[in-house]
Amino acid sequence: MRCASCNTELNGTDICPGCGRDVRMYKKMVSLSNRFYNEGLEKAGVRDLSGAVSCLRQSLKLDKNNIDARNLLGLIYYETGEVVVALSEWVISKNLETGENIADYFMDTVRNSPAKLDEINQTIKKFNIALNYCRQDSLDLAIIQLKKVLSLNGNFVKAHLLLCLLYLKGGNWDRAKSEAGKALKLDTGNVMAKRYLKEADDMLLPGESGKLVSDITTDSDDVIRYNSGNEMIIQPVKKSAITRSGSIWGIVLGIILGIAASCFLILPQRIAGINSNNQEKITQISEESDAKSAQINDYEQQIATLQSQIEELQSQVSGYEGATSTSAAMNSLMKAASIYLNDSSDVDGIGSALAEVDLSVIGEDVSPEFTSLYDNLMVLVGAQLSTSYYNTGYEAYKNSDYETAISNLSKAYQYDSTNVNTLYYLGNSYYNSGDIAKAKEAYDEVITKFPETKSAQEAQTKLAEINNSDG
Amino acid sequence: MLNFEEELKKFKPSLEIEDTEDIIYNKDLDDMSDVLVKLLKEAKSETDNQRRAR
Repeated sequence: MRCASCNTELNGTDICPGCGRDVRMYKKMVSLSNRFYNEGLEKAGVRDLSGAVSCLRQSLKLDKNNIDARNLLGLIYYETGEVVVALSEWVISKNLETGENIADYFMDTVRNSPAKLDEINQTIKKFNIALNYCRQDSLDLAIIQLKKVLSLNGNFVKAHLLLCLLYLKGGNWDRAKSEAGKALKLDTGNVMAKRYLKEADDMLLPGESGKLVSDITTDSDDVIRYNSGNEMIIQPVKKSAITRSGSIWGIVLGIILGIAASCFLILPQRIAGINSNNQEKITQISEESDAKSAQINDYEQQIATLQSQIEELQSQVSGYEGATSTSAAMNSLMKAASIYLNDSSDVDGIGSALAEVDLSVIGEDVSPEFTSLYDNLMVLVGAQLSTSYYNTGYEAYKNSDYETAISNLSKAYQYDSTNVNTLYYLGNSYYNSGDIAKAKEAYDEVITKFPETKSAQEAQTKLAEINNSDG
Repeated sequence: MLNFEEELKKFKPSLEIEDTEDIIYNKDLDDMSDVLVKLLKEAKSETDNQRRAR
Protein backbone atom coordinates (compact mmCIF):
# COMPACT_ATOMS: atom_id res chain seq x y z
CA MET A 1 0.00 0.00 0.00
CA ARG A 2 1.30 3.41 -0.96
CA CYS A 3 0.55 6.89 0.37
CA ALA A 4 -2.04 8.72 -1.75
CA SER A 5 -0.12 12.00 -1.36
CA CYS A 6 3.55 11.11 -1.80
CA ASN A 7 3.29 7.54 -3.15
CA THR A 8 5.64 6.31 -0.41
CA GLU A 9 5.26 2.68 0.69
CA LEU A 10 3.32 2.72 3.96
CA ASN A 11 4.30 0.67 6.99
CA GLY A 12 2.28 -0.69 9.90
CA THR A 13 1.89 2.73 11.58
CA ASP A 14 -0.88 5.27 10.86
CA ILE A 15 1.66 7.93 9.79
CA CYS A 16 3.18 8.09 6.30
CA PRO A 17 6.97 7.71 6.61
CA GLY A 18 7.41 9.96 3.54
CA CYS A 19 5.17 12.99 4.15
CA GLY A 20 4.19 12.40 7.79
CA ARG A 21 0.46 12.56 7.06
CA ASP A 22 -2.13 10.60 9.03
CA VAL A 23 -3.10 7.67 6.80
CA ARG A 24 -5.66 5.97 9.05
CA MET A 25 -8.59 7.16 6.96
CA TYR A 26 -6.82 6.18 3.75
CA LYS A 27 -6.06 2.72 5.07
CA LYS A 28 -9.71 2.29 6.06
CA MET A 29 -10.85 3.28 2.56
CA VAL A 30 -8.48 0.81 0.96
CA SER A 31 -9.73 -1.87 3.31
CA LEU A 32 -13.32 -1.00 2.46
CA SER A 33 -12.50 -1.09 -1.24
CA ASN A 34 -11.08 -4.56 -0.84
CA ARG A 35 -14.22 -5.67 0.98
CA PHE A 36 -16.36 -4.43 -1.90
CA TYR A 37 -14.05 -6.18 -4.33
CA ASN A 38 -14.44 -9.45 -2.47
CA GLU A 39 -18.17 -9.06 -2.43
CA GLY A 40 -18.17 -8.29 -6.14
CA LEU A 41 -16.04 -11.35 -6.79
CA GLU A 42 -18.47 -13.53 -4.88
CA LYS A 43 -21.42 -12.16 -6.82
CA ALA A 44 -19.63 -12.62 -10.11
CA GLY A 45 -19.00 -16.23 -9.06
CA VAL A 46 -22.76 -16.86 -8.92
CA ARG A 47 -23.38 -14.79 -12.10
CA ASP A 48 -24.99 -11.93 -10.22
CA LEU A 49 -23.25 -9.62 -12.66
CA SER A 50 -25.30 -6.50 -11.90
CA GLY A 51 -24.58 -6.89 -8.18
CA ALA A 52 -20.93 -7.54 -8.92
CA VAL A 53 -20.70 -4.40 -11.10
CA SER A 54 -22.28 -2.34 -8.31
CA CYS A 55 -19.83 -3.67 -5.71
CA LEU A 56 -16.83 -3.21 -7.97
CA ARG A 57 -17.82 0.34 -8.81
CA GLN A 58 -18.04 1.06 -5.08
CA SER A 59 -14.68 -0.55 -4.62
CA LEU A 60 -13.13 1.67 -7.31
CA LYS A 61 -14.74 4.78 -5.88
CA LEU A 62 -13.02 4.04 -2.61
CA ASP A 63 -9.70 3.12 -4.20
CA LYS A 64 -9.08 3.80 -7.88
CA ASN A 65 -5.84 1.80 -7.64
CA ASN A 66 -7.64 -1.45 -6.85
CA ILE A 67 -6.39 -3.15 -10.01
CA ASP A 68 -8.10 -6.48 -9.38
CA ALA A 69 -11.45 -4.77 -8.96
CA ARG A 70 -10.97 -2.81 -12.19
CA ASN A 71 -9.89 -5.85 -14.17
CA LEU A 72 -12.83 -7.87 -12.85
CA LEU A 73 -15.19 -5.03 -13.71
CA GLY A 74 -13.82 -5.02 -17.26
CA LEU A 75 -14.29 -8.78 -17.49
CA ILE A 76 -17.90 -8.53 -16.36
CA TYR A 77 -18.62 -5.78 -18.87
CA TYR A 78 -17.05 -7.97 -21.58
CA GLU A 79 -19.25 -10.89 -20.54
CA THR A 80 -22.43 -8.82 -20.78
CA GLY A 81 -21.51 -7.54 -24.25
CA GLU A 82 -20.24 -4.09 -23.23
CA VAL A 83 -16.86 -4.70 -24.84
CA VAL A 84 -15.85 -1.03 -25.26
CA VAL A 85 -16.37 -0.25 -21.58
CA ALA A 86 -14.45 -3.40 -20.71
CA LEU A 87 -11.53 -2.35 -22.92
CA SER A 88 -11.48 1.13 -21.37
CA GLU A 89 -11.31 -0.38 -17.85
CA TRP A 90 -8.42 -2.64 -18.86
CA VAL A 91 -6.53 0.22 -20.52
CA ILE A 92 -6.88 2.37 -17.38
CA SER A 93 -5.85 -0.61 -15.30
CA LYS A 94 -2.74 -1.07 -17.40
CA ASN A 95 -1.87 2.62 -17.03
CA LEU A 96 -2.25 2.50 -13.28
CA GLU A 97 -0.26 -0.74 -12.91
CA THR A 98 2.35 -0.98 -15.61
CA GLY A 99 3.95 -4.07 -14.10
CA GLU A 100 2.46 -7.52 -14.10
CA ASN A 101 -1.20 -7.07 -14.93
CA ILE A 102 -3.78 -9.58 -16.12
CA ALA A 103 -5.36 -6.78 -18.18
CA ASP A 104 -2.57 -7.42 -20.69
CA TYR A 105 -3.88 -10.93 -21.27
CA PHE A 106 -7.47 -9.73 -21.66
CA MET A 107 -6.55 -7.01 -24.14
CA ASP A 108 -4.26 -9.32 -26.11
CA THR A 109 -7.07 -11.86 -26.36
CA VAL A 110 -9.38 -9.25 -27.88
CA ARG A 111 -6.68 -7.65 -30.02
CA ASN A 112 -5.42 -10.94 -31.50
CA SER A 113 -8.76 -11.78 -33.09
CA PRO A 114 -9.67 -8.76 -35.24
CA ALA A 115 -12.52 -10.68 -36.87
CA LYS A 116 -14.08 -11.25 -33.48
CA LEU A 117 -13.55 -7.59 -32.57
CA ASP A 118 -15.18 -6.50 -35.82
CA GLU A 119 -18.11 -8.81 -35.15
CA ILE A 120 -18.49 -7.33 -31.68
CA ASN A 121 -18.46 -3.83 -33.14
CA GLN A 122 -21.10 -4.82 -35.70
CA THR A 123 -23.21 -6.24 -32.90
CA ILE A 124 -23.02 -2.98 -30.97
CA LYS A 125 -23.88 -0.95 -34.09
CA LYS A 126 -26.89 -3.16 -34.79
CA PHE A 127 -28.06 -2.79 -31.21
CA ASN A 128 -27.84 0.99 -31.50
CA ILE A 129 -29.79 0.83 -34.78
CA ALA A 130 -32.44 -1.30 -33.07
CA LEU A 131 -32.66 1.22 -30.24
CA ASN A 132 -33.08 3.94 -32.82
CA TYR A 133 -35.91 1.96 -34.46
CA CYS A 134 -37.59 1.72 -31.07
CA ARG A 135 -37.44 5.48 -30.66
CA GLN A 136 -38.90 5.86 -34.15
CA ASP A 137 -41.70 3.46 -33.17
CA SER A 138 -40.58 0.87 -35.76
CA LEU A 139 -40.89 -1.97 -33.31
CA ASP A 140 -41.04 -4.81 -35.85
CA LEU A 141 -37.79 -3.67 -37.45
CA ALA A 142 -36.27 -3.31 -33.99
CA ILE A 143 -37.24 -6.89 -33.12
CA ILE A 144 -35.69 -8.20 -36.35
CA GLN A 145 -32.51 -6.23 -35.69
CA LEU A 146 -32.28 -7.44 -32.09
CA LYS A 147 -32.71 -11.03 -33.19
CA LYS A 148 -29.74 -10.54 -35.50
CA VAL A 149 -27.74 -9.02 -32.63
CA LEU A 150 -28.50 -11.97 -30.37
CA SER A 151 -27.64 -14.45 -33.11
CA LEU A 152 -24.18 -12.81 -33.24
CA ASN A 153 -23.73 -12.45 -29.48
CA GLY A 154 -26.13 -14.35 -27.27
CA ASN A 155 -24.57 -12.90 -24.09
CA PHE A 156 -25.60 -9.34 -24.87
CA VAL A 157 -27.82 -8.81 -21.82
CA LYS A 158 -28.97 -5.35 -22.82
CA ALA A 159 -30.23 -6.71 -26.17
CA HIS A 160 -32.19 -9.45 -24.37
CA LEU A 161 -33.76 -6.84 -22.12
CA LEU A 162 -34.70 -4.53 -24.97
CA LEU A 163 -36.19 -7.42 -26.92
CA CYS A 164 -38.10 -8.47 -23.83
CA LEU A 165 -39.46 -4.95 -23.48
CA LEU A 166 -40.56 -4.97 -27.13
CA TYR A 167 -42.35 -8.29 -26.65
CA LEU A 168 -44.06 -6.89 -23.59
CA LYS A 169 -45.11 -3.88 -25.60
CA GLY A 170 -46.45 -6.17 -28.36
CA GLY A 171 -48.34 -8.32 -25.83
CA ASN A 172 -46.24 -11.35 -26.60
CA TRP A 173 -45.95 -12.32 -22.97
CA ASP A 174 -44.51 -15.79 -23.28
CA ARG A 175 -41.71 -14.60 -25.53
CA ALA A 176 -41.06 -11.69 -23.21
CA LYS A 177 -40.86 -14.16 -20.39
CA SER A 178 -38.45 -16.29 -22.36
CA GLU A 179 -36.19 -13.33 -23.11
CA ALA A 180 -36.28 -12.16 -19.50
CA GLY A 181 -35.36 -15.70 -18.46
CA LYS A 182 -32.39 -15.68 -20.82
CA ALA A 183 -31.23 -12.34 -19.44
CA LEU A 184 -31.55 -13.64 -15.90
CA LYS A 185 -29.61 -16.73 -16.81
CA LEU A 186 -26.74 -14.50 -17.92
CA ASP A 187 -27.13 -12.03 -15.07
CA THR A 188 -29.03 -13.49 -12.15
CA GLY A 189 -29.18 -10.20 -10.27
CA ASN A 190 -30.46 -8.05 -13.11
CA VAL A 191 -33.28 -6.05 -11.58
CA MET A 192 -34.69 -4.91 -14.89
CA ALA A 193 -34.94 -8.51 -16.13
CA LYS A 194 -36.69 -9.51 -12.91
CA ARG A 195 -39.16 -6.68 -13.32
CA TYR A 196 -39.90 -7.64 -16.92
CA LEU A 197 -40.29 -11.27 -15.92
CA LYS A 198 -42.76 -10.33 -13.25
CA GLU A 199 -44.70 -8.20 -15.70
CA ALA A 200 -44.86 -11.08 -18.17
CA ASP A 201 -45.92 -13.53 -15.46
CA ASP A 202 -48.64 -11.16 -14.32
CA MET A 203 -50.01 -11.02 -17.83
CA LEU A 204 -50.13 -14.77 -18.20
CA LEU A 205 -53.63 -15.29 -16.79
CA PRO A 206 -54.95 -18.68 -15.71
CA GLY A 207 -56.96 -20.26 -18.56
CA GLU A 208 -59.31 -23.17 -18.89
CA SER A 209 -58.44 -26.69 -17.67
CA GLY A 210 -55.87 -25.35 -15.30
CA LYS A 211 -53.66 -24.20 -18.14
CA LEU A 212 -52.00 -20.88 -17.88
CA VAL A 213 -52.95 -19.45 -21.20
CA SER A 214 -50.77 -16.82 -22.67
CA ASP A 215 -51.61 -15.25 -25.93
CA ILE A 216 -52.89 -18.27 -27.74
CA THR A 217 -52.42 -16.27 -30.86
CA THR A 218 -50.32 -18.10 -33.31
CA ASP A 219 -47.16 -16.35 -34.40
CA SER A 220 -47.20 -18.49 -37.44
CA ASP A 221 -49.90 -20.54 -39.11
CA ASP A 222 -48.36 -23.82 -38.05
CA VAL A 223 -48.38 -23.80 -34.21
CA ILE A 224 -50.36 -22.68 -31.18
CA ARG A 225 -48.31 -21.74 -28.12
CA TYR A 226 -49.56 -21.81 -24.57
CA ASN A 227 -48.11 -22.31 -21.13
CA SER A 228 -48.98 -25.22 -18.88
CA GLY A 229 -47.44 -24.59 -15.49
CA ASN A 230 -43.83 -23.70 -16.08
CA GLU A 231 -43.70 -25.36 -19.50
CA MET A 232 -44.43 -23.82 -22.83
CA ILE A 233 -46.52 -26.09 -25.03
CA ILE A 234 -46.16 -25.68 -28.77
CA GLN A 235 -49.01 -27.50 -30.44
CA PRO A 236 -49.24 -27.96 -34.21
CA VAL A 237 -52.45 -26.67 -35.76
CA LYS A 238 -54.69 -29.34 -37.28
CA LYS A 239 -54.84 -28.71 -40.95
CA SER A 240 -57.50 -29.39 -43.50
CA ALA A 241 -57.03 -31.76 -46.39
CA ILE A 242 -56.27 -28.82 -48.64
CA THR A 243 -53.45 -27.57 -46.44
CA ARG A 244 -52.22 -31.11 -45.94
CA SER A 245 -52.00 -31.43 -49.70
CA GLY A 246 -48.90 -29.26 -49.42
CA SER A 247 -47.15 -32.04 -47.54
CA ILE A 248 -48.51 -34.58 -50.04
CA TRP A 249 -47.00 -32.53 -52.82
CA GLY A 250 -43.78 -32.48 -50.84
CA ILE A 251 -43.83 -36.28 -50.66
CA VAL A 252 -44.59 -36.52 -54.38
CA LEU A 253 -41.75 -34.11 -55.11
CA GLY A 254 -39.45 -36.21 -52.91
CA ILE A 255 -40.44 -39.35 -54.78
CA ILE A 256 -39.83 -37.62 -58.11
CA LEU A 257 -36.44 -36.41 -56.93
CA GLY A 258 -35.63 -39.92 -55.70
CA ILE A 259 -36.57 -41.39 -59.05
CA ALA A 260 -34.55 -38.72 -60.84
CA ALA A 261 -31.56 -39.44 -58.60
CA SER A 262 -31.88 -43.18 -59.29
CA CYS A 263 -32.20 -42.45 -63.03
CA PHE A 264 -29.10 -40.31 -63.08
CA LEU A 265 -26.98 -42.21 -60.57
CA ILE A 266 -28.11 -45.84 -60.33
CA LEU A 267 -29.69 -46.62 -63.70
CA PRO A 268 -26.61 -45.78 -65.83
CA GLN A 269 -24.58 -48.32 -63.86
CA ARG A 270 -27.35 -50.92 -64.13
CA ILE A 271 -27.69 -50.25 -67.87
CA ALA A 272 -23.94 -50.50 -68.31
CA GLY A 273 -23.98 -53.84 -66.44
CA ILE A 274 -26.86 -55.16 -68.55
CA ASN A 275 -25.14 -53.97 -71.72
CA SER A 276 -21.93 -55.77 -70.79
CA ASN A 277 -23.92 -58.95 -70.06
CA ASN A 278 -25.72 -58.63 -73.37
CA GLN A 279 -22.40 -58.02 -75.12
CA GLU A 280 -21.03 -61.23 -73.61
CA LYS A 281 -24.16 -63.11 -74.71
CA ILE A 282 -23.90 -61.64 -78.21
CA THR A 283 -20.25 -62.70 -78.40
CA GLN A 284 -21.16 -66.21 -77.24
CA ILE A 285 -24.07 -66.42 -79.71
CA SER A 286 -21.90 -65.17 -82.59
CA GLU A 287 -19.29 -67.81 -81.75
CA GLU A 288 -22.01 -70.48 -81.77
CA SER A 289 -23.34 -69.01 -85.01
CA ASP A 290 -19.88 -69.22 -86.61
CA ALA A 291 -19.58 -72.86 -85.53
CA LYS A 292 -23.03 -73.62 -86.93
CA SER A 293 -22.22 -71.78 -90.17
CA ALA A 294 -19.16 -74.01 -90.56
CA GLN A 295 -21.36 -77.07 -89.92
CA ILE A 296 -23.89 -75.80 -92.49
CA ASN A 297 -21.09 -75.43 -95.05
CA ASP A 298 -20.05 -79.02 -94.38
CA TYR A 299 -23.65 -80.14 -94.74
CA GLU A 300 -24.02 -78.21 -98.00
CA GLN A 301 -20.93 -79.89 -99.39
CA GLN A 302 -22.35 -83.25 -98.33
CA ILE A 303 -25.69 -82.35 -99.96
CA ALA A 304 -23.89 -81.40 -103.20
CA THR A 305 -22.03 -84.72 -103.14
CA LEU A 306 -25.27 -86.59 -102.46
CA GLN A 307 -27.05 -84.64 -105.19
CA SER A 308 -24.42 -85.66 -107.72
CA GLN A 309 -24.79 -89.23 -106.52
CA ILE A 310 -28.59 -88.97 -106.90
CA GLU A 311 -28.21 -87.63 -110.43
CA GLU A 312 -25.86 -90.48 -111.27
CA LEU A 313 -28.28 -92.99 -109.83
CA GLN A 314 -31.19 -91.36 -111.64
CA SER A 315 -29.30 -91.67 -114.91
CA GLN A 316 -28.78 -95.33 -114.07
CA VAL A 317 -32.50 -95.68 -113.26
CA SER A 318 -33.49 -94.05 -116.55
CA GLY A 319 -31.19 -96.52 -118.29
CA TYR A 320 -33.03 -99.30 -116.56
CA GLU A 321 -36.35 -97.71 -117.56
CA GLY A 322 -35.24 -97.83 -121.24
CA ALA A 323 -34.46 -101.45 -120.77
CA THR A 324 -37.90 -101.87 -119.22
CA SER A 325 -39.60 -100.26 -122.24
CA THR A 326 -37.62 -102.51 -124.56
CA SER A 327 -38.61 -105.44 -122.43
CA ALA A 328 -42.29 -104.33 -122.58
CA ALA A 329 -42.05 -104.01 -126.39
CA MET A 330 -40.62 -107.54 -126.56
CA ASN A 331 -43.49 -108.83 -124.42
CA SER A 332 -46.02 -107.08 -126.65
CA LEU A 333 -44.40 -108.50 -129.77
CA MET A 334 -44.39 -111.95 -128.20
CA LYS A 335 -48.06 -111.52 -127.29
CA ALA A 336 -48.93 -110.53 -130.88
CA ALA A 337 -47.01 -113.54 -132.21
CA SER A 338 -48.81 -115.76 -129.73
CA ILE A 339 -52.24 -114.42 -130.82
CA TYR A 340 -51.32 -114.98 -134.48
CA LEU A 341 -50.23 -118.55 -133.78
CA ASN A 342 -53.45 -119.28 -131.91
CA ASP A 343 -55.83 -117.53 -134.31
CA SER A 344 -54.34 -115.87 -137.45
CA SER A 345 -57.69 -114.22 -138.25
CA ASP A 346 -57.77 -112.26 -134.95
CA VAL A 347 -56.48 -109.11 -136.57
CA ASP A 348 -57.86 -106.83 -133.87
CA GLY A 349 -56.07 -108.75 -131.07
CA ILE A 350 -52.79 -108.72 -133.03
CA GLY A 351 -53.23 -105.08 -133.78
CA SER A 352 -53.87 -104.14 -130.15
CA ALA A 353 -50.78 -106.14 -129.10
CA LEU A 354 -48.58 -104.55 -131.72
CA ALA A 355 -49.97 -101.13 -130.85
CA GLU A 356 -47.96 -101.30 -127.65
CA VAL A 357 -44.74 -101.83 -129.61
CA ASP A 358 -43.40 -98.29 -130.09
CA LEU A 359 -40.43 -98.53 -132.43
CA SER A 360 -39.42 -94.90 -131.80
CA VAL A 361 -38.95 -95.65 -128.05
CA ILE A 362 -37.13 -98.94 -128.58
CA GLY A 363 -34.53 -97.34 -130.86
CA GLU A 364 -31.53 -99.46 -131.65
CA ASP A 365 -31.39 -101.26 -128.31
CA VAL A 366 -33.33 -104.28 -129.63
CA SER A 367 -31.74 -107.49 -130.74
CA PRO A 368 -31.70 -108.63 -134.42
CA GLU A 369 -34.03 -111.49 -133.44
CA PHE A 370 -36.64 -108.97 -132.26
CA THR A 371 -36.39 -107.06 -135.54
CA SER A 372 -36.58 -110.24 -137.55
CA LEU A 373 -39.66 -111.43 -135.66
CA TYR A 374 -41.31 -108.06 -136.03
CA ASP A 375 -40.59 -107.94 -139.81
CA ASN A 376 -41.88 -111.49 -140.34
CA LEU A 377 -45.03 -110.71 -138.41
CA MET A 378 -45.55 -107.59 -140.51
CA VAL A 379 -45.21 -109.67 -143.71
CA LEU A 380 -47.82 -112.09 -142.39
CA VAL A 381 -50.40 -109.70 -140.90
CA GLY A 382 -49.19 -106.19 -141.88
CA ALA A 383 -51.44 -105.91 -144.97
CA GLN A 384 -54.50 -107.07 -143.01
CA LEU A 385 -53.74 -104.72 -140.15
CA SER A 386 -53.16 -101.85 -142.57
CA THR A 387 -56.44 -102.51 -144.39
CA SER A 388 -58.32 -102.66 -141.11
CA TYR A 389 -56.81 -99.37 -139.86
CA TYR A 390 -57.26 -97.77 -143.32
CA ASN A 391 -60.96 -98.62 -143.41
CA THR A 392 -61.52 -97.29 -139.93
CA GLY A 393 -59.48 -94.17 -140.66
CA TYR A 394 -61.12 -93.50 -143.99
CA GLU A 395 -64.59 -93.80 -142.42
CA ALA A 396 -63.55 -91.33 -139.77
CA TYR A 397 -62.11 -89.02 -142.47
CA LYS A 398 -65.36 -89.04 -144.32
CA ASN A 399 -67.22 -88.30 -141.12
CA SER A 400 -64.80 -85.37 -140.53
CA ASP A 401 -63.46 -87.10 -137.37
CA TYR A 402 -59.93 -86.13 -138.23
CA GLU A 403 -58.37 -87.07 -134.93
CA THR A 404 -59.50 -90.71 -135.22
CA ALA A 405 -58.65 -90.59 -138.89
CA ILE A 406 -55.09 -89.41 -138.21
CA SER A 407 -54.58 -92.11 -135.56
CA ASN A 408 -55.82 -94.99 -137.71
CA LEU A 409 -54.34 -93.81 -141.00
CA SER A 410 -50.94 -93.35 -139.32
CA LYS A 411 -51.02 -96.98 -138.13
CA ALA A 412 -52.26 -98.15 -141.52
CA TYR A 413 -49.32 -96.41 -143.19
CA GLN A 414 -46.96 -97.83 -140.53
CA TYR A 415 -48.00 -101.40 -141.32
CA ASP A 416 -48.21 -100.89 -145.11
CA SER A 417 -46.30 -98.03 -146.61
CA THR A 418 -47.20 -98.91 -150.22
CA ASN A 419 -50.76 -97.58 -150.14
CA VAL A 420 -50.69 -94.01 -151.55
CA ASN A 421 -54.27 -93.32 -150.51
CA THR A 422 -53.43 -93.96 -146.90
CA LEU A 423 -50.73 -91.28 -147.02
CA TYR A 424 -52.82 -88.86 -149.07
CA TYR A 425 -55.84 -89.05 -146.76
CA LEU A 426 -53.53 -88.76 -143.76
CA GLY A 427 -52.23 -85.51 -145.29
CA ASN A 428 -55.81 -84.31 -145.90
CA SER A 429 -56.72 -85.21 -142.29
CA TYR A 430 -53.74 -83.14 -141.00
CA TYR A 431 -54.71 -80.31 -143.35
CA ASN A 432 -58.34 -80.27 -142.27
CA SER A 433 -57.46 -80.56 -138.61
CA GLY A 434 -55.23 -77.45 -139.01
CA ASP A 435 -51.83 -79.17 -138.64
CA ILE A 436 -50.43 -77.63 -141.85
CA ALA A 437 -46.79 -78.64 -141.16
CA LYS A 438 -47.65 -82.33 -140.83
CA ALA A 439 -49.95 -82.00 -143.85
CA LYS A 440 -47.10 -80.57 -145.94
CA GLU A 441 -44.80 -83.42 -144.82
CA ALA A 442 -47.47 -85.96 -145.84
CA TYR A 443 -48.04 -84.27 -149.23
CA ASP A 444 -44.28 -84.03 -149.88
CA GLU A 445 -43.95 -87.75 -149.11
CA VAL A 446 -46.89 -88.55 -151.51
CA ILE A 447 -45.21 -86.49 -154.27
CA THR A 448 -41.79 -88.07 -153.58
CA LYS A 449 -42.80 -91.71 -153.11
CA PHE A 450 -45.72 -91.84 -155.55
CA PRO A 451 -44.85 -89.23 -158.25
CA GLU A 452 -46.94 -90.52 -161.13
CA THR A 453 -50.22 -91.01 -159.27
CA LYS A 454 -53.34 -88.92 -159.26
CA SER A 455 -52.93 -88.52 -155.51
CA ALA A 456 -49.50 -86.96 -156.19
CA GLN A 457 -51.10 -84.38 -158.50
CA GLU A 458 -53.79 -83.55 -155.97
CA ALA A 459 -51.10 -83.34 -153.28
CA GLN A 460 -49.23 -80.96 -155.55
CA THR A 461 -52.35 -78.82 -155.89
CA LYS A 462 -52.86 -78.82 -152.10
CA LEU A 463 -49.24 -77.79 -151.51
CA ALA A 464 -49.65 -74.94 -153.99
CA GLU A 465 -52.76 -73.79 -152.12
CA ILE A 466 -50.87 -73.97 -148.83
CA ASN A 467 -47.93 -72.04 -150.27
CA ASN A 468 -50.22 -69.44 -151.83
CA SER A 469 -52.13 -68.96 -148.64
CA ASP A 470 -48.79 -68.61 -146.76
CA GLY A 471 -47.54 -66.10 -149.33
CA MET B 1 -48.09 -2.11 -15.82
CA LEU B 2 -44.84 -0.95 -17.38
CA ASN B 3 -44.59 2.34 -19.20
CA PHE B 4 -42.84 1.52 -22.43
CA GLU B 5 -41.59 5.03 -23.08
CA GLU B 6 -40.16 5.36 -19.60
CA GLU B 7 -38.53 1.96 -19.79
CA LEU B 8 -37.07 2.78 -23.22
CA LYS B 9 -35.40 5.87 -21.81
CA LYS B 10 -33.39 3.61 -19.50
CA PHE B 11 -31.66 2.07 -22.46
CA LYS B 12 -28.61 4.00 -23.64
CA PRO B 13 -26.75 3.36 -26.87
CA SER B 14 -23.83 1.01 -26.41
CA LEU B 15 -20.39 2.51 -26.85
CA GLU B 16 -18.67 1.62 -30.07
CA ILE B 17 -14.99 0.77 -30.56
CA GLU B 18 -14.32 4.16 -32.14
CA ASP B 19 -15.41 5.85 -28.90
CA THR B 20 -12.92 4.00 -26.71
CA GLU B 21 -10.31 6.76 -26.71
CA ASP B 22 -12.80 9.44 -25.69
CA ILE B 23 -14.15 7.29 -22.90
CA ILE B 24 -10.72 6.70 -21.46
CA TYR B 25 -9.72 10.35 -21.61
CA ASN B 26 -12.97 11.65 -20.20
CA LYS B 27 -13.25 9.08 -17.44
CA ASP B 28 -13.45 10.60 -13.97
CA LEU B 29 -10.96 8.53 -12.02
CA ASP B 30 -11.13 10.41 -8.74
CA ASP B 31 -11.69 8.19 -5.74
CA MET B 32 -12.56 8.90 -2.13
CA SER B 33 -8.96 9.72 -1.12
CA ASP B 34 -8.71 12.27 -3.95
CA VAL B 35 -11.92 13.88 -2.72
CA LEU B 36 -10.59 13.95 0.85
CA VAL B 37 -7.29 15.47 -0.25
CA LYS B 38 -9.21 18.13 -2.17
CA LEU B 39 -11.41 18.87 0.83
CA LEU B 40 -8.40 19.11 3.12
CA LYS B 41 -6.67 21.45 0.68
CA GLU B 42 -9.72 23.65 0.45
CA ALA B 43 -10.11 23.67 4.24
CA LYS B 44 -6.47 24.58 4.68
CA SER B 45 -6.60 27.41 2.16
CA GLU B 46 -9.75 28.75 3.83
CA THR B 47 -8.03 28.74 7.22
CA ASP B 48 -5.06 30.58 5.75
CA ASN B 49 -7.33 33.23 4.25
CA GLN B 50 -9.10 33.79 7.60
CA ARG B 51 -5.74 34.21 9.37
CA ARG B 52 -4.64 36.78 6.79
CA ALA B 53 -7.89 38.68 7.24
CA ARG B 54 -7.29 39.00 11.02
